[in-house]
Amino acid sequence: MLLKKYMKERDKNMENMIEVRNLKKCYKIPVRSKGMAATIKNLFHRKYDIKKAVDDISFSIKRGEVVGFIGPNGAGKSTTIKMLSGILYPDGGKVKSNGLVPFKQRKQYVKDIGVVFGQKSQLNWDLPLIESFELMRYIYKIPKEKYEANLEKFIKLLDMEEFINRPVRQLSLGQKMRGDIVAALLHSPKIVFFDEPTIGLDVVAKEKIREFVKYMNEKEETTIIFTTHDMQDIEKVCDRLIIIDSGKKVYDGSISEIKNIYANCKSIEVLYEDGRKEIKTFNVNETPMNVVMENLFAKSGIKDISIIEPEIDGIIRDIYEGRIKLPALEGCV
Amino acid sequence: MRAYVEFAIKKFQNKMTYRLEFFMGILDTIISLIVYLCIYNALYGNEASVDGITLSMVATNFVISLGLSNAFHFDEFFLEKRVNEGSICNEFLKPVNFVFRMFSENAGEGLFKVIFNFIPAVIFAIFYTELCKPSGLLNVLLMLLSVVLGYIILWLISFIVQTWTFWFLSVWGIITIKNVFVNILSGSMIPIWFMPSALRRIIAFTPFESIYFTPVRIYLGELSGMDILKGMGIQILWILILMLIANLFWKKGVKKLVIQGG
Repeated sequence: MLLKKYMKERDKNMENMIEVRNLKKCYKIPVRSKGMAATIKNLFHRKYDIKKAVDDISFSIKRGEVVGFIGPNGAGKSTTIKMLSGILYPDGGKVKSNGLVPFKQRKQYVKDIGVVFGQKSQLNWDLPLIESFELMRYIYKIPKEKYEANLEKFIKLLDMEEFINRPVRQLSLGQKMRGDIVAALLHSPKIVFFDEPTIGLDVVAKEKIREFVKYMNEKEETTIIFTTHDMQDIEKVCDRLIIIDSGKKVYDGSISEIKNIYANCKSIEVLYEDGRKEIKTFNVNETPMNVVMENLFAKSGIKDISIIEPEIDGIIRDIYEGRIKLPALEGCV
Repeated sequence: MRAYVEFAIKKFQNKMTYRLEFFMGILDTIISLIVYLCIYNALYGNEASVDGITLSMVATNFVISLGLSNAFHFDEFFLEKRVNEGSICNEFLKPVNFVFRMFSENAGEGLFKVIFNFIPAVIFAIFYTELCKPSGLLNVLLMLLSVVLGYIILWLISFIVQTWTFWFLSVWGIITIKNVFVNILSGSMIPIWFMPSALRRIIAFTPFESIYFTPVRIYLGELSGMDILKGMGIQILWILILMLIANLFWKKGVKKLVIQGG
């Protein structure tokens, strides 16, 4: 029985692009105490705290999937991305991606991936954008025809004709970001990691980037992993959502599913006569609406109430803040 | 290979964009040359030679060693900056060897400065003071080769110190101390001829003498025949030793690397 399950699982994994099992990473953080005396003491002797940045995460991603990777700041998203892209050694667990072990076969592996860090540009600051692209051509040994075809296509899709010959230091954040995305995709990678690519961008630029990511996924069948704090990104781009918090996976499934689970969770905003506002969240399956209402009407001084349907933003916020407890994850190994 | 050449070319182009820095670089080398030459002019007074070293030999030493040390000055915080900002992850995500990439960028900058800072300074010096004539065309060619080897030694010393970033996170202090050692012991501030003989014996066992002094001696004809080969052999030996050390620190450092931020 177990063996059968194992075999089935193994067959399923054959088509997996990325395979992560029990991934762990700890950081040693020096503990600094306050005060001059302690600072001097620290020079010679340091104490360390161990912080589990990624604590036993497992998942697998199929070829051609777009997966949104979200979690509050410091949840371990970037650490996971760094381990998946081969620049960080995990402390435990297994990673297999595109048939390779990223941190062991890094040089081989990075030829077929692209990474876009929203906060770290890889463009050459002093030279026109096009020069940075040229450099990519040599770094990845892209054939001339492919390079030119890709470049032309990307420039059109991202609306870049206007500033392609301008030095990078004179570009706006949105233009730079588009430049970074093109630089990471010119070699037609099989897997692309986007680490907060829309951070700090205006609505139009965000929309452009989302459309582009979608295009790359649909037309080029690129497997995409996308971290962001913007739920719009997730809703518009991703098929699947992985939520991590404090280094642990708390949700893994489709977006519509998470909405369904939480459709039963309603929030009521109560506005009191003295201007106070209160938001109550409850599950209609556990506490029927009439009970909630009775409780509410027993109070005095209520001016207005409104029922808030769960928005993806709100759901995520509630998960982060611990207001919604997730049911035990099923089907996660 | 082509990618590394491109790195060097891009850095070369980069340097071109800052025009003020470009002109100031020429001025910087010329001013420091004038200062050192004036000092030694005064020190020599009316003496034709000191310890068998003529003033024009000293001048030649300065033009080559000081001129080149200005030209070979590169961004020694290349690694520190990338480790501290965390942008080193972008580097590791490329299918290129980071160390070679770093070298090609620095070498591109060095080449730029040799052409646009060093050569103008040499031309200036030819008119300004009396320099020694090269002892032969072959010597000039061998000197150029020896200069390249010297540059690699200089670069490796800097690289080793830079890799300590992985442990200390800030290497400003160590780099400053290292530069004092390099400047004094390589003879770009005081010609090695004038060092106390005890110190000279010690320097002979360090890589510093191989950086500028070996090319200078080849140019002046102080080394000839087998001695040239011996001098270059020592340079190559140092390159191999330093590469071994650099590789050790680099491998250990990368393992230790914790990418900051994000």
